[in-house]
Formats: sequence, structure tokens, C-alpha cells
Amino acid sequence: MTDQACRECHRIVEGLVCPICSSASLSKDWSGYVVIIDPKGSMVAERLGINLPGRYALKVR
Amino acid sequence: MFVVKTTANQERAVANLIAQIARKEKHDIRALLVPDVLKGYVLVEAPAPEIVEQAIQGVPHARSVIRGSSTFEEVEHFLTPKPAVVGITEGAVVELISGPFKGEMARVKRVDVTKEEITVELFEAMVPIPITVRGDHVRVLSKDDVQR
Repeated sequence: MTDQACRECHRIVEGLVCPICSSASLSKDWSGYVVIIDPKGSMVAERLGINLPGRYALKVR
Repeated sequence: MFVVKTTANQERAVANLIAQIARKEKHDIRALLVPDVLKGYVLVEAPAPEIVEQAIQGVPHARSVIRGSSTFEEVEHFLTPKPAVVGITEGAVVELISGPFKGEMARVKRVDVTKEEITVELFEAMVPIPITVRGDHVRVLSKDDVQR
């Protein structure tokens, strides 16, 4: 199954509900891929407003 | 930011593996970025190139680390993907590149920037029927906005 991205927080989730924001609004149509390992030290995470490690999509339709 | 060259279409797999290794072996890699427009490359946010070199050892499809580093400002534009309809204007001639009308030429009648959709009319159609397609499903052939 293709991974889905949460429309709220852009996190790539495997189930039917986003574990972080509990949103069920997921989309298979996403592009751009970011893996955040250390959100505190990362400028990419800071720029994207991400404060939890994980996999994210840059754009979710 | 350092750039890792990868096999085309394996960028996400490489990013996942590097992330996995970085977590396991406690390498100081902070983030990995795979923009869709950059085929065959993964951007790695790390303080030193040696860390990246070490992390890609044994990762399949990861070829090499490009010499030199980029500043965050240089890659920042990848973080805000531009809408798919940028560069498409009303009246432009486009070719549909996917869907049931693949290969057909059409003229753009309306552009919806928020939905990233465009409404087109096919040249080949007997009667003009407006068709709404996604902005990334067309290729712009000519931008002239002179009505025929």
C-alpha cells in the first residue's frame, strides 16, 4: 500500500489516522519527502515548523 | 547541507536507509531532504561531510557525496514547492500528458491557482467541451495568449 500523508501536519502515516494530530484527513497525493531525525538541531525542521522526528511530505494535495 | 548522489528513482529509499543508519549508529545527521524536482540526489543536513560519507557506506543506490557543501539559503526554495499551475496562462496551448486525453492538444480557458487545476478545450473535439485537469497533467507548448 502506498503511504499516505496527513493533510494537517504533512506527516507520512501508515495507518488510517495520523498518530500525532489524530486527523483522518489523509492523502495519497503528496510530493517532496523529508526525514527529520533531530528536529532541535535541524534548520530544515525549523523552517518547516516541525518539532517531532519522522517522515514528512513537502506538499500534500 | 551536503548532497548525496543516488540511483534515479531510489532517492526515498536511500533517504530512509541513511536515516535508519544515522539513528542506529548515532551519526549527527539532522535531516534528509528529497525534493521531487531533484532527480538522483538526496540533500543531507549534517555538520561535516565525513559524517555523511560514513553514513552512506554500504547503503545500496547511494553513489557518492558531492564535494563541497551548500548553505541552507541555497536549498531553502526546495522547501516551498511552487504550485503546479505556475507558468500556465489563459490562452496557452498545452498537451495533456496523462489521463484519457493523453497526447491531445488543448487551449487553456481557465486557471485555478488554489486548486492547481486548469480548464481546457481540446482542439480535436467537434464541439468545444471544457475539461478540467490537474496542472501537473499538462505540458505547456506555447504561451501565446492570442485567441484563434
